[in-house]
Amino acid sequence: MKIKRLFQKTLFGVIGMFGLIGVSTSGLAIYTVDGHLSTEYVSNSRNIAKTIADSSVDILLNRDLATLQSLIDQFLGIQGIKYIYIADETGEYLAHTFVPGIPEEIRASDPQSVETVERSLPGIGDCVEVGSPILAGEAGTVHVGMDKGLISLKIQQAVGHQVWIIAAVFIIGVGAGVWFVSFASRPIGQVLAYGTALANSPTRDTQDADDVLGRNDEAGDLARLFQFFARAKESDAPPKASDASPKDADAS
Amino acid sequence: MGYGLAGGVAAPWLKLGAAPLGTGVTDTEIVLGTSAAFSGPSRGLGIELYRGANACFKEVNAGGGVNGRNVVLRIYDDGYQPDPCVKNTMTLMLEDQVFLLFGYVGTPTVTRVLPMLKKFQDRSMFLFFPFTGAQPQRQPPYGDFAFNLRASYAQETGGLVDNFIKVGRDRIAVFYQADAYGRSGWAGVRAALKRHGKTIAGEATYKRGSKFTSVMRRPVQILQQADPQAVICIGAYAACAAFARDAVDLGLRVPIANLSFVGSENMLKLLTEGRAPEQSAEYTRWLVNSQVVPSYEDTTIPAVREYREMMARHDPAPPAELVTEEYTPFQHSFVSLEGYLDAKLLVEVLRRLGDTPSREGLEEAVFTVQDLDLGLGERVSFGPDRRQGLQTVYYTVVDGDRFVTLDDWGERFSLDAPDSSAAS
Repeated sequence: MKIKRLFQKTLFGVIGMFGLIGVSTSGLAIYTVDGHLSTEYVSNSRNIAKTIADSSVDILLNRDLATLQSLIDQFLGIQGIKYIYIADETGEYLAHTFVPGIPEEIRASDPQSVETVERSLPGIGDCVEVGSPILAGEAGTVHVGMDKGLISLKIQQAVGHQVWIIAAVFIIGVGAGVWFVSFASRPIGQVLAYGTALANSPTRDTQDADDVLGRNDEAGDLARLFQFFARAKESDAPPKASDASPKDADAS
Repeated sequence: MGYGLAGGVAAPWLKLGAAPLGTGVTDTEIVLGTSAAFSGPSRGLGIELYRGANACFKEVNAGGGVNGRNVVLRIYDDGYQPDPCVKNTMTLMLEDQVFLLFGYVGTPTVTRVLPMLKKFQDRSMFLFFPFTGAQPQRQPPYGDFAFNLRASYAQETGGLVDNFIKVGRDRIAVFYQADAYGRSGWAGVRAALKRHGKTIAGEATYKRGSKFTSVMRRPVQILQQADPQAVICIGAYAACAAFARDAVDLGLRVPIANLSFVGSENMLKLLTEGRAPEQSAEYTRWLVNSQVVPSYEDTTIPAVREYREMMARHDPAPPAELVTEEYTPFQHSFVSLEGYLDAKLLVEVLRRLGDTPSREGLEEAVFTVQDLDLGLGERVSFGPDRRQGLQTVYYTVVDGDRFVTLDDWGERFSLDAPDSSAAS
């Protein structure tokens, strides 16, 4: 019974440890992935916006808005880009990818601002918007909106993978723990059995007694100590079998 | 597989495999390459353009071809999507090695192909008479690689705006496809309004590939907020028909104009098929479509008579290998008339190349076309600074089950006109 309780404690300890590891590493992963992805997203968005801005100069100067639209439509195919719009130096929207129209929140904002802003747009979702000036803003501004939902999805995927790994390690760890506890408790059981047998019949040696007495570890030392005390007692006064309960033996 | 690339389809009345004379040309044939929409919601455009061109090519080939060579069309389906069109064009140029590109459909597709022509300019590959009025193939840096027959979207939208303003409708909104085509038309409307000191009253967009079953109530509502006196649509027939339907249903009773690209007959069919005459009339009452060819009903025009005769004689079928969705061809249509005229002019250019046609000689041959009468009354000329043959824009409205020429804008669309009382 005591060995089972010992096992339970060990198991609870393992679960607790893994739980702590799981929660702490997941939290760390969320924090790290969120930070890295957000930074990377903004950086990528800026690069894309800059690329479009650089590519747009000639097109804008030629007033070829169809080609300009074609250009931003191609970038819209990149994963994570939710919308792109280009405003000229007067703030007029020359090309955009919004359907069925430019959201009011964007119309209300300053089209020439290149600051990074977070938007929650109806029908589009949560986005991070970055801007890049065209010809230092003299020809207009490009704005790219990146899907924040994709960051959440990436975080979910990263944490999900981590949970899977921790769960697998946990199952292997519990299995290994059970085996180790069982392995470690076997000599204790042998000592317990020997002590009980010694209490019932101090003079009778068995094959099991030889096994445990022949061990050269702590269990063997304990068994030999039991044997010593039993024989010492036997030489003074033979103890009653009922006085040597497994509990007492274990307690000694 | 999403879009075609299912292999080219040579016109069935011809045989391939003769000894090669030059790229895309053999002793017996001249091979032209086409990528167009033969599937999806805009398939009617590609199919009708192909049918019209084929009526001409069949007649020419039946008469011995061009300088003894039959004209062969190698066609691919791009579903009116840019990426498949780019792949098809690569195949046509590098594998099929066609003589020239002909009869492409759409702005978003053509604008993606133009840089390829520039990239392979050492091969002297030209795009002839694409079914789009957009600017990119009419101006630098790609204008040198294409020849256009039809008037531009800028001319179409400019004419529409001018006429609307003449009848007192100066609050003009735009409903357009969210791509290069829509933007091209939007830019045309914007520029035309600017000439009158006006700006676009309101705008709404739709996604390319939208079907007639799509709900267009939201775009209609967006435009209603702008209180327009007219709406110019830059789209394909399925989406524009859906918009016209929902506009009437939601009480937006103002003239709704469409450009030539819309495919008027397909649009009319969607708005009238299976409906009571009164409802059909209600849905089509406000339509005014600009065209870049005259009405195919006007048999006083020699080119129209010729087109009708060729369509009747050859009854060109849609390319069965590429058209897998249900489609019932029209006996006549603006699109197939345009296809016929495109083919007729191309045949004339090929004739001028002489007995040893080469790509290098193409541009020069086109520039020899001066004051050519295709039978329209308007003469066609080309030159280094003139890469568009026709300039005229026609306006049509629905009369019963067909589009007819609009003679009097004021009578039909003036704010004081009897039917305009409910407008705005």
